[in-house]
Amino acid sequence: MSAHRMRMRAASVVAGLGIVALLVAGCTRGGDNGGASGGESAAASPGITDDSITLGITTPLSGATAGPGTCTVAGITAYFGAKNADGGVKFGDGKTRKVEIKALDDAYDPQKAAANYGQLKDSVFAMTAGLGTPTNRAWREAAIADKVPQALIMTGDPIFSDQKESPWQLGFVPIYQNEGEAFGKLLASSSGDHKVAILSQNDDYGQGYVEGFKKGIEGAKNIEVVKELTYEATDTSVDAQLTELAGSGADVFFNAMSITPLVISSLQKTQELGWKPSWFLPSNTSSPSAILEPGGASAFPGVYTVAFAQSAAAPTFADSDAGKTFLSDLKQYADYPDTPAFPHCVWSYQVGATLDQVFQKMTEPTRDDFMTQLRSIKDYVAPLMLDGSSVDTTEDGQPAVSTVQVQKYNGKGYAPATSWE
Amino acid sequence: MGTFIQLVIDGLSTGSIYAALALAIVLVNQATGLINFAQGGMAVLSAYIAWQLTAWSVPLILAILISIAVSFVIGALVERLLIRKFEGGDPDTAVVVTIGLLTLVTGVCAWIWTYNNRLFPSLFPLDTITIAGAVISIRSLGTILVIVAIMVLLQVLFLGTKLGLALRAVAINPQSAAFSGMPVGRLLMVGWGLAAGLGAVAGALVAPQLTLTPNMMDGALVYALAAVIIGGLTSPIGVVIAAWLIGVLENLAAVYVPFIGHDLKIAVPFIMIFVVLIIRPQGLFGRKTVVRV
Repeated sequence: MSAHRMRMRAASVVAGLGIVALLVAGCTRGGDNGGASGGESAAASPGITDDSITLGITTPLSGATAGPGTCTVAGITAYFGAKNADGGVKFGDGKTRKVEIKALDDAYDPQKAAANYGQLKDSVFAMTAGLGTPTNRAWREAAIADKVPQALIMTGDPIFSDQKESPWQLGFVPIYQNEGEAFGKLLASSSGDHKVAILSQNDDYGQGYVEGFKKGIEGAKNIEVVKELTYEATDTSVDAQLTELAGSGADVFFNAMSITPLVISSLQKTQELGWKPSWFLPSNTSSPSAILEPGGASAFPGVYTVAFAQSAAAPTFADSDAGKTFLSDLKQYADYPDTPAFPHCVWSYQVGATLDQVFQKMTEPTRDDFMTQLRSIKDYVAPLMLDGSSVDTTEDGQPAVSTVQVQKYNGKGYAPATSWE
Repeated sequence: MGTFIQLVIDGLSTGSIYAALALAIVLVNQATGLINFAQGGMAVLSAYIAWQLTAWSVPLILAILISIAVSFVIGALVERLLIRKFEGGDPDTAVVVTIGLLTLVTGVCAWIWTYNNRLFPSLFPLDTITIAGAVISIRSLGTILVIVAIMVLLQVLFLGTKLGLALRAVAINPQSAAFSGMPVGRLLMVGWGLAAGLGAVAGALVAPQLTLTPNMMDGALVYALAAVIIGGLTSPIGVVIAAWLIGVLENLAAVYVPFIGHDLKIAVPFIMIFVVLIIRPQGLFGRKTVVRV
């Protein structure tokens, strides 16, 4: 009931903001037309001038998701910081612009995210990179009404990649279903029989993974799902669920969990129980240094995850040229001195690189042209991408990155896994 | 049967986490008559202090002992400099002040140590022993034993020592206590200091399991308050038993009552609160407060 009421309240806030936004947008557009009656073919959208463009981000910088959230700002800031230091980004209209970023904290609170959007939308050209499904959903409709791009955001929710429903949106990271399906397919290709136990977060996140996984194993006679349980994102312990699942005798455990501490304690608890299945973990909760090592994951026959980007914590990363540049940019321009434990820093860096591609194709300084070019990137291999993954924004219903590689933990980092063994 | 025993053991282990915090709340309440909502936040601060010391390569045991001592001082200072201004006034105001303090302490931790998870080394090894088909980790067992020891110490402190008597006297009637020559202010500081020190123990016990973040104790605080209400504000033994009951019943209800399941189990302690408050308003083990007219 209270959830319903909250949704109603959120909806009315969004609606209210929408009305205000329309009024303000009406005013500014009128003003623009008056000012830009000179030679240009189309009036410039807000947030862009001849020598600068401003991007907005609303993302959690405090609260439980602040670690990944801080990364979503740091990566893109590092990318464009380095570009700005080189003079700026050369746009398709021949002008070179510096990229400025305005980031606000929403603490993973949808209402705050909507308020942040309201605060930013008239001074930024586009919104980008922000993390979170409920938070990005909170202002999606307002952004459509205002015609403000909500581009390359970090959520696996498919709604943002559906062009009809979300004409001004595009997700960056693979949708939950992509990840679940990749794992299901790999497992189905195994020569042996497997029993699977599933624990999933009781929301779109968990359901998306399970849905994708079941699609992946569809028709596979050797795979049986023996037990499925859920937990709440607010739970402090899932020991009872693990005890119940351990009793199922499954040899594969699909843990669709997004809460870092819970994944660590799950790895430990399962070992205590003497249950040693193979694990599958989502891409955002499978960090070797932040989760697998403290959880003692080497005790299991295999820990699998999917990825499309290199892991900054991998031993070889800091030695590669691209890795070196990334880490030094992060330190110099984004004030992020540590090697990031979350993949979101690399993802956000790739969002920057993808936006760079879009900017290079833009021939008019308008949000309309931006959206057109945003949907025209194909086969672009962004820095730090894994072999086999690329950016493709042309397919309706898919996010910018939809090809993922299944990876297996080898005690230090991840190595590609092409078959189940 | 193995599953049943395992669920009970798991419940005792999570219950011990709630109990650690609940004991600190009882201590402040016994010593000052207040409920301190910031108790969880202060415990997290203590855990961060201990973590920082280990990061400077101080041995873990020593780091925890230092953090207990520092926390005692911080607790006493908070009482002297902040809470003192609201004592003797409307108790509701003081409670709201402690909620503000919780927000402040959480913010300060985040400001200094960021929201990234920190790995807090465990006092106990990760090994397990098997009893009657159930697996018990040394860590759970250690946590449970430490809680029992603290509970006994507190019970002895309040019922068997002069300091405990004085603390209770000051909490129940500060004016009369002052008239009979007790240093009321100093006793209140000691009460808060002890509670903060106890919080430091709770923080060090809990942090390895939950991993250290500024909000680590928020969930546990809700359960701890439930344990305090069910067990009775005046009884250390009562709140520990209540916390264990909550942990165990929650697990059992989730697995054996299909209608509750894992998604509704958070409601279990609150249903228990309603039932207990209707039958025994002073809590299962609490003493009735009698006011002489």
